[in-house]
Amino acid sequence: MQKAVVANSANAPLLQQEVAVKAGRLTKVRPYLYVLPALLFFSAFFFIPILYIIYLSVFDWSLLNLEEMEWVGWQNYADLLSDADFHQVLLNTMLFTVATVVLGIGLSFLLALWLNQKRKLVAVVQASVFSPHIISLVSVSMLWMWLMDPQYGLLNALLEFIGLPAYTWLADTKSALLSLVLVSVWKVVGYNTIVFIAGLQSIPKDLYEAAALDRSTRWQTLRRITIPMLSPTLFFLLITNTISSFQVFDTISIMTQGGPVNSTNMLVYYIYEQGMDYYNGGLASAASVILLGLVGLLTVFHFWTMRKRVHYR
Amino acid sequence: MQQVVKKYNNQTVVKGLDLVIPDGSFTVLVGPSGCGKSTTLRMIAGLEEITAGDLLIDGQRVNDLAPGKRDVAMVFQNYALYPTMNVFDNIAFGLLNRGFSKKDCKRMVEEIAEIVGLSSYLQRKPAELSGGQRQRVALARAMVKKPRVFLMDEPLSNLDAKLRNQMRVELTSLHKQLGTTFIYVTHDQVEAMTMGDQIVVMNEGEIMQKASPFELYQQPANLFVAQFIGSPAMNILPTDKESIGFRPEKAMLTAGSARTIQPAAGFVDHGRIVAREILGSDVLYYVSGRAGKIIARKAADELLAEGTEVTVSVAAEHLYRFDQETGRALSVAAIKQESLPSGGLG
Amino acid sequence: MHQSTRVAARWIEAVLLVAVALVFVFPFLWMFLTAFKTMPEVYQFPPTWLPETWQFANFETAWSSGPFLRYVINSVLVAIGVLIIQLLTAVPAAYAFARYRFRGRNFLFGLALIALMIPPQVIFLPIYVELSHMGLINTLWSLVLPYGASAFGIFLLRQAFMQVPDEVIEAARLDSASEWKIMWRVMVPMAKPVLVTFGLFSFIYHWNDYFWPLIMTNSDEVRTLPVGITMLKAAEGGKQWNVIMAGNMMLVLPILAIFFFAQRHIMKAFVYQSK
Repeated sequence: MQKAVVANSANAPLLQQEVAVKAGRLTKVRPYLYVLPALLFFSAFFFIPILYIIYLSVFDWSLLNLEEMEWVGWQNYADLLSDADFHQVLLNTMLFTVATVVLGIGLSFLLALWLNQKRKLVAVVQASVFSPHIISLVSVSMLWMWLMDPQYGLLNALLEFIGLPAYTWLADTKSALLSLVLVSVWKVVGYNTIVFIAGLQSIPKDLYEAAALDRSTRWQTLRRITIPMLSPTLFFLLITNTISSFQVFDTISIMTQGGPVNSTNMLVYYIYEQGMDYYNGGLASAASVILLGLVGLLTVFHFWTMRKRVHYR
Repeated sequence: MQQVVKKYNNQTVVKGLDLVIPDGSFTVLVGPSGCGKSTTLRMIAGLEEITAGDLLIDGQRVNDLAPGKRDVAMVFQNYALYPTMNVFDNIAFGLLNRGFSKKDCKRMVEEIAEIVGLSSYLQRKPAELSGGQRQRVALARAMVKKPRVFLMDEPLSNLDAKLRNQMRVELTSLHKQLGTTFIYVTHDQVEAMTMGDQIVVMNEGEIMQKASPFELYQQPANLFVAQFIGSPAMNILPTDKESIGFRPEKAMLTAGSARTIQPAAGFVDHGRIVAREILGSDVLYYVSGRAGKIIARKAADELLAEGTEVTVSVAAEHLYRFDQETGRALSVAAIKQESLPSGGLG
Repeated sequence: MHQSTRVAARWIEAVLLVAVALVFVFPFLWMFLTAFKTMPEVYQFPPTWLPETWQFANFETAWSSGPFLRYVINSVLVAIGVLIIQLLTAVPAAYAFARYRFRGRNFLFGLALIALMIPPQVIFLPIYVELSHMGLINTLWSLVLPYGASAFGIFLLRQAFMQVPDEVIEAARLDSASEWKIMWRVMVPMAKPVLVTFGLFSFIYHWNDYFWPLIMTNSDEVRTLPVGITMLKAAEGGKQWNVIMAGNMMLVLPILAIFFFAQRHIMKAFVYQSK
């Protein structure tokens, strides 16, 4: 409710007026006071670092000696862009992301269509499929290293059992990246599936009833109702899965250390190696800024489409 | 005399109210939805900022006092109980905030619970109570603070009809028992008439009339009050300059167009009964007359059939006259012969 | 006839469902089985299913190969510490966003939403530099403070607070409760399910986290369990899979236990991000 603010204190004693002003000030300041602690943390560990990393990326510096920083302008970026290793890193990141996102979302979409049932057995299966998502990537990585062990691993034993040749898994440049994709997909499918199922269940039932009365085939119903109604969920998963694939680190650090021959080195691991192991802070900062740009673009895109959707409704 | 005084000068929702609520009264604010009655109540409570003007309680200006410091208590339409606290804690919350010791709280809560009959429910959560019980908790929570003013915002509207009647009686007797000022908001005129000793009728942010229930019915100050109070509403027949009005129960119906009318009749019209509603003891007749549509209420001793030609007559002392532009009531003495509708004076 | 084909179809579907579940659960089972095998049995090809002798000594070997008690204590301290600070910052902020109108509210809330989208891996380097200027590198603070404000927590709690009816807050104001008290005594208890949801989410995330402690710590006194367990692998030359798997059980079992008891809450917590 809106009211015109009319000052009418001609008959109020001066003292009371002052008290009123003070009380008014407190109520005006209170919301900011409440937001302040969170804002301080966000500033210190989010907004300032974002600006700081851009600043750091135009210096030559190292974690060994933070006092000595030399201004080099665009040199770090130039170095990065002419570095064949970094090209490889970018290519790996892109390949890994596309494969993980396409497989992770495709499989989970099919699973969700299947597992969107109210049977008890299905509930157990849903929980099972979801369970890898809450397990530490450390354990997942080690577990899969063991499963993928070329000589004694379970996977090769199974391949042999069905008469197929043993696979190289993490040991070969050709198969290592794919193996990492497999682990990531295995971990994320459950989460995606549950999100898809939540999306499916929010589609009004009467839409399906209307379609059934219109003698819509299963395929038509899927194409004309389910997929369009699920598009916000699909879009959300595309963005978040892409962003988290950009961040892949734990599996690389534990399973491959970027190898063999740089074939699984990706952006965050590259930044980590350059900054923490090779003490090349400038290069690491420049690579961070590039990653920040990619994630930032996706975020802006995400908010932009979200706002557009709000308008349509 | 201690008195509660409120003066507002609000621009939009509530337009410059001037209202004195005597200490110890049961004042009812009544009006159609959106008339500003709830806003007025919430301003008294301090939940709504007062844009301009002064609000005085016991002669003290309280405009800028926080709600919790005004020494008022409020019963909300949806009770607004704290769902995570049990009944005891719900009632004790306000006391503890006012710095009463745990021991005093316990004693006071138990006392109140005894009065409203909740003693055996103190450990229950609101979700485990019936609507009527929740209502009592809300009442107890307000009463325990022994406030100077009780504010009630349509507290009975969520109860079923039977319980509502019962609570109505309980509230009035509670008021007599406590002797505290009650300010009660409702849109239901029956509630207003039966409970209040002072009724304030509001419309579009303005006070239409402030009077006792009897006076309100007998001497409505304007067209709005005349039509808002009473069921069915007062018959209003517009003429050139004024409107005349009369209560349905004051209209005499005589079958046929016989000219046998009492000499005292102030208003006469002929028409036909187009519909009737049998209420039991009474019958409502809808008459389409020359002057307009008329509702008459008669005892159900004899029934007149639909379609019957009737003569409607009203004694002069039961006629109300209103200014057509302002809607203000005109005194009966101001009746002018020529302005009456075609029926003419008997 | 029709009846029996339907029964058959149902059975086939059930078998397929179990097969799908096994794809995701069996690796954990394999971890469990390996943890009880002897070294010779681990390196047997083709592998055996059940351990020939259940060897519990692997757990002792794993536990005594490093200061694991320290790791566990650190992990718990960090996960609980983060959660406490997150709640202390998120509750007032969420209350302000949900209940007050103030200039800049939408802008500030927008900032929080951005923080929700950008993961810490992107900006760990400047935070490391910051923390080393403050002298906090290699302390538990370096694991707790950067996570002091949770955008997700603010977002969740704001939703919950917005659903509390105005009347309840007004009743509390008339009951002379201060804003601070209304927030903690009236609103927070009403948001309890959401608090549990968020608490589980936050605890699991930080219990599992490997990246941040790896970056910020370099000595055993402040390392957490996930980093400690990778030390196990390095220390044992990457070959004693039975001991490594036994070590990992320490990391996995608490989470699986929580998941078993609070499955619904947890799945809701993680799925909530999509809304």
